[in-house]
This record gives sequence, structure tokens and C-alpha cells, in this order.
Amino acid sequence: MPAGRRDPAAQSARRPPPLLPLLLLCVLGAPRGGSGAHTAVISPQDPTLLIGSSLLATCSVHGDPPGTTAEGLYWTLNGRRLPPELSRVLNASTLALALANLNGSRQQSGDNLVCHARDGSILAGSCLYVGLPPEKPVNISCWSKNMKDLTCRWTPGAHGETFLHTNYSLKYKLRWYGQDNTCEEYHTVGPHSCHIPKDLALFTPYEIWVEATNRLGSARSDVLTLDILDVVTTDPPPDVHVSRVGGLEDQLSVRWVSPPALKDFLFQAKYQIRYRVEDSVDWKVVDDVSNQTSCRLAGLKPGTVYFVQVRCNPFGIYGSKKAGIWSEWSHPTAASTPRSERPGPGGGACEPRGGEPSSGPVRRELKQFLGWLKKHAYCSNLSFRLYDQWRAWMQKSHKTRNQVGRTLPDSRRGTRDRPTPALAGEREATRIESSGSGDVLWGLSREGEDPVPRNPRPI
Amino acid sequence: MSRREGSLEDPQTDSSVSLLPHLEAKIRQTHSLAHLLTKYAEQLLQEYVQLQGDPFGLPSFSPPRLPVAGLSAPAPSHAGLPVHERLRLDAAALAALPPLLDAVCRRQAELNPRAPRLLRRLEDAARQARALGAAVEALLAALGAANRGPRAEPPAATASAASATGVFPAKVLGFRVCGLYREWLSRTEGDLGQLLPGGSA
Repeated sequence: MPAGRRDPAAQSARRPPPLLPLLLLCVLGAPRGGSGAHTAVISPQDPTLLIGSSLLATCSVHGDPPGTTAEGLYWTLNGRRLPPELSRVLNASTLALALANLNGSRQQSGDNLVCHARDGSILAGSCLYVGLPPEKPVNISCWSKNMKDLTCRWTPGAHGETFLHTNYSLKYKLRWYGQDNTCEEYHTVGPHSCHIPKDLALFTPYEIWVEATNRLGSARSDVLTLDILDVVTTDPPPDVHVSRVGGLEDQLSVRWVSPPALKDFLFQAKYQIRYRVEDSVDWKVVDDVSNQTSCRLAGLKPGTVYFVQVRCNPFGIYGSKKAGIWSEWSHPTAASTPRSERPGPGGGACEPRGGEPSSGPVRRELKQFLGWLKKHAYCSNLSFRLYDQWRAWMQKSHKTRNQVGRTLPDSRRGTRDRPTPALAGEREATRIESSGSGDVLWGLSREGEDPVPRNPRPI
Repeated sequence: MSRREGSLEDPQTDSSVSLLPHLEAKIRQTHSLAHLLTKYAEQLLQEYVQLQGDPFGLPSFSPPRLPVAGLSAPAPSHAGLPVHERLRLDAAALAALPPLLDAVCRRQAELNPRAPRLLRRLEDAARQARALGAAVEALLAALGAANRGPRAEPPAATASAASATGVFPAKVLGFRVCGLYREWLSRTEGDLGQLLPGGSA
């Protein structure tokens, strides 16, 4: 037997069962004098055993008249009759059973070992608990929502299944003083988790560990030491708005607000944006959005609906040097890029134009070209911003040529004169009315909603 | 004695005797409740046997029908009794069931701690038995057929010198209690049905 493990033969009735009401007494095996009925007692009663161990059990019959024989008795385990070669008659009133290499219990309430009379009636029963002692819980991880609480999660142990009910208890204490405390709200984020809702100290480390106990023993995890401020997470950024950037067909502008619960502390907060095409499951992540509340996505497909989400990492809160924990993603917000004026590949009459690159690789090449120009052609004023402004001007010029004789709505006249395409695009995107381009403008999603088109109005 | 009492005394009387509308409505309501709780009792028993493991769930499972103190199964002669007497026995059984169900629940909380649905069903069963028992007693009072003597208190849960019963007997006891719960609910539903207009004697 491995060192440190208990003798399985000594495990029966390790913990005394609770008291049952007097008037509920119903004992199988208690002899009833004068009734003429046979009863029996199985020994051991409710043993606890290690997987792979053996068991020798006996069924002793009492009966009236005395001298009731053990002949004809048989055993079942979980309803299945056991082979007769596993049994032997010890004496006139006792039938023995030898089981070897036991498997883990089929149900947590115990395997049902039953002694039957010749006619199949049940004489006595005993429940076997066959399993493993708990392993050391591992991978404890904890996080605090807005510095107000602490939730911890752990993994049971390398092999997991013990086949016995195993109780897990999360304990915590302040590192240098204080008593052990026990977490009370379990299963909050999964089967092996616990939530401490209040009375947590900041700027001082806690020690946290998990104790696992079952009928065969106990185990304790390593101690995790942490400061609440080093494991802070927060709510996702609210009020995420996604809008067009003027008429730029490959860009969208994303703006959001700092999470309100920590907004006075998020000096060094980091943000991440992810976006995907409407009918795709592949997200693209923009990773280097630090301490800003806006970002422009470029290299997008024209005339395409995008879903966008933002999350926050309250890095550096109260001077913490640790990485921080990302919030959940915000609710998806959608917007569509303007449709390209040029017919797409494979559709309609095709008039090739001088390439207005809108794809990512082309933009990268253009960027490299502009960089080369600045260096070798001494064009110091060249920049991508200038290029975007040129594209916006080109698109508007094209629309004007195609719409001779039509009067644009008043609000759009203002946008034509605006020097900053981004602001114009945002204004357009927030309006549900048609843009004059035949595109569907998606309303900005509200919390809990997936974006849906409201008023598709082709021109 | 009112005509109503006279009709209850005679089980052969046609139960189509006109009852006050509100009383008839109350009978229907109580009968519907008994019908619903009978279905719940079936589900409770199924869930119970599943969690105890075989042989409890097997069709051939037939443990000894040892008596449960304070409650017995409906006797074969039950059906031949006057309807008000049957309902009194139903009410008495429904009053005796809650502490038994509570005791089974406490034991199952140790044997099956990760079976919250079973534990919830057992708690609900105790509450529902109390509610139905009270409804039946109210009906009997309205019909003028309530017990006139002191009401026998249901047996309280007390410690037992022989309480160190094994796990298997505890499983069998719970099976027995859940079975009795289902039997008495079904019996109550049938007896209430005989009070309804058109109910056979």
C-alpha cells in the first residue's frame, strides 16, 4: 500500500452516519422474532476501499426456525448477479464473497452489494465506496472585479476523478496576521470556484489555498500569495461607437468610454479591439491600443458589415506593476464600410480604374513607397493621412460627377467642406437616413442587441 | 345532519347531489392539485432510484416492504370505506409524510450531495404534501366531516438508539417513503374525484 494512504480495510463507517428519526427505523438485518422470516447481516457494512483493492464480505443469515442454511444464497453487485465461484459457504449460516481488483464506484452514493435468498428476495445490503484519495488541487487563479471582491478557480488534480464525493474548501488569510477564513460561495464560475464578496484589504498580500477531502484522505494545494491590486479586472468599456470615416471605403472609426467603475484610476489602462466580418467567425485583434479611447480600423473591405468589440485591462492601477486582467469583451457593435463605387470582381459591367488600393497588402506597399519617396525624393510632407484625404476627395469628386442635377441633403453639404474625413464619416454613420450611396446604414447596437438593419433605403 | 353530510355518510349515494358552487370549485381545485402532485411524485421516485444505482432502478427490484413507523400503505379495505373516512385517512397520511420526506432529504444530502435537483424535489414534496393535506382537511371541514377529536400530531424527528443504520437500508427506506408518497397522492386524487359530480362511488 502506498505510504501515507489509509488501510482500506479500516475504512468502514469512517464517519458516523447522521441520526435518523426514531420512527423511521427500518433496518435490514434486524431479526424479527417469531415472524418466520429470514433476515441477514452483511459484514463489513459500507466499507471504503482503494481502487484495485480486494474485499472479503460475509452474509450471515438469521432465521426462524434456527439453523437456517446459507445454501442457495447468492450475491449481486449493482443489480448484477456475481459468479458463484466468487462465493463459498463458510458455515451453515454464512456465505462469503471474495472480490478482487475493485473498480471505482459507479455512483457516489456507493455500489450496492446485496445478499439474496434462494427465491431472489433481498436479505441484506451494504454499500461499497471504492475510489482514490484526492490529489493536490492545482492551478489556482484569482481575480478581483473593480477591487471589490475576489473570485478564485482551481483544478482538482492531475487525474481528476476520485470516484468518491470530494469536498473542496477554499481558504484564505492575510499573509502576516489574521486567522484562516473559509470561502462560502461555491460554484460561481464553474464547479471548482468560489467567490469572496466583501471585506478584502488592499495593499497587503493574501495567502490562498484549497483543501480537498474525501473518505480516503485529504490534500492541500500550494499556497498562492497575491495582492488584490495585482489581479484587478473591470467591466467592458461602455458606449462603444463604430462609424464610417467620411467616404473612405476601407476604414471605420471606433470610439468608447473608460469603464466607469475605475475611470478615475485607469491612467495606464490598455485596450484591445477585435473585429470580424458579419458572416465570419474569425476575429482580427488590434492589440496595441494603449490608454486611448478611440481607434481607426483600416484595410477593411468596402461595402461590408463589421462587428466590433473592445475590452479593457486596468494595468497599473494604484501603481501595480503586474499585467492586469482583461475584462470581458463589450457587446458587439456593428457598422458597414461604404460600398465601393467601382464594380467588384465578377459583378456587372466592369470598368477598371487606376488602382485605388483598399486592401491591406496594397496599403502596406503604398506605405513603403511613401517612405521611400520621403527619403529619396525629399517629399517630406507625404503621409498616409494625406493619402486618405486624397482618396476621400477622389470619391466625392466621382459622386458629384455621377449625380449631376441632384441636390444633396443639407447636412451633407456641411460634410463636404469639412477638412477632416473622420468626423464627417462619424456624423454620417450615426444617422439612419440614407447616405446617398445606396448603402444600408446600421444603427449602433444597444446593450444586449445584435445590430440589425433599420431602414435600408437605396437611392 | 345536513343533506350533504347524509350524502357523505352513504358511499352509495349518487355524488351528483348539488353542492354549493364554491365548494364544488374547491373540490375541483384540490383534485387538480392532487393530480399534479401525483405526477411530481412519479418524477421524484424515478430520480431517486436513478441516483441510488441498480438494483433500485430495475423493474425486478422488490425490497422487503418493511413498515415505516407512523405511516402505512393504503389498506386494501380503503376503497370500501365511506368517502369522508377515506379522505380523513388521506389527510392523516399527507400530514405524516413531510417529516419522513425531510429525513430522506437530509440523508440524501450526504449520499448524493451533487444532486441538487433530487434534494429540491424532496423539499418540494414535503411542502406540497403539507399543502394538499391542509386542503383536504379544509374540504372535510366545509363538508362537515372533519375530525372532531384532537388532531394527532405527526411523529417528530427524534434521535434513535438504533440510528446507526447502514447506507443500503437508508436507501431502501427512502425508496419506501417516496413510494408511499406516490401511493397516497394517487389515493387522494382518486378519493377527491369521487366527490366531483359524476364521480363513481
